[in-house]
Amino acid sequence: MSNKLVIMESKINKKEPGLLPKYFKKIGLVLMILAFVPAVVVKSMNIEMVQSQKELFRIFTLNAFILGLLFVAWSKDKIEDEMTVAIRLKAMAWAFSLAVLYVIVKPFVDLLFKDPIQVLTGQEVVISMLFVYLIMYYLQKIGR
Amino acid sequence: MKNTVKVERAKLDITQHDLADKVGVSRQTINSIEAERYVPSTVLAIKISEVFKTTVNEIFKLEKDD
Repeated sequence: MSNKLVIMESKINKKEPGLLPKYFKKIGLVLMILAFVPAVVVKSMNIEMVQSQKELFRIFTLNAFILGLLFVAWSKDKIEDEMTVAIRLKAMAWAFSLAVLYVIVKPFVDLLFKDPIQVLTGQEVVISMLFVYLIMYYLQKIGR
Repeated sequence: MKNTVKVERAKLDITQHDLADKVGVSRQTINSIEAERYVPSTVLAIKISEVFKTTVNEIFKLEKDD
């Protein structure tokens, strides 16, 4: 019983919350940039696409961008210690809270400034969460 | 929580970087602990006290509002 408790405690106190290796930061940045290259090519070459193709294209672009953001956000720093874990936790709390606020406030903003209320997509929420997370993480790192 | 890490470090004449290397954290973490912006975990507090060859209670003291 006591052994079980020790194992549980050590799992809870584990310092690294399953982060990706450091080089994933670079992979993520490249992916974020590459995500928009096909869109730029299509736009600059005036390639005609039907609505379903446009939708599929948009989904692929945004998904690649989200994956890139996730890699940047969820990869290890040069030095990972208990303070970076604490900073990550705070940044996640900010990201979650602001995403909830965004979901609640956005329809009212749409109502005030745009005619129809636009449906909020999961991708929009995820991108905003990852951006807030990254901003809050690096702001806290600079200010420590 | 108050601490005397800076004083103890001065006694041993070691830099924040040296202490950080000895306990396995970043220099910024040691700086934050000294500035009392960050309260270390029990494990890190014990590691720091071991470097200074003293007890945790000698280095870290609770304040009234803790």
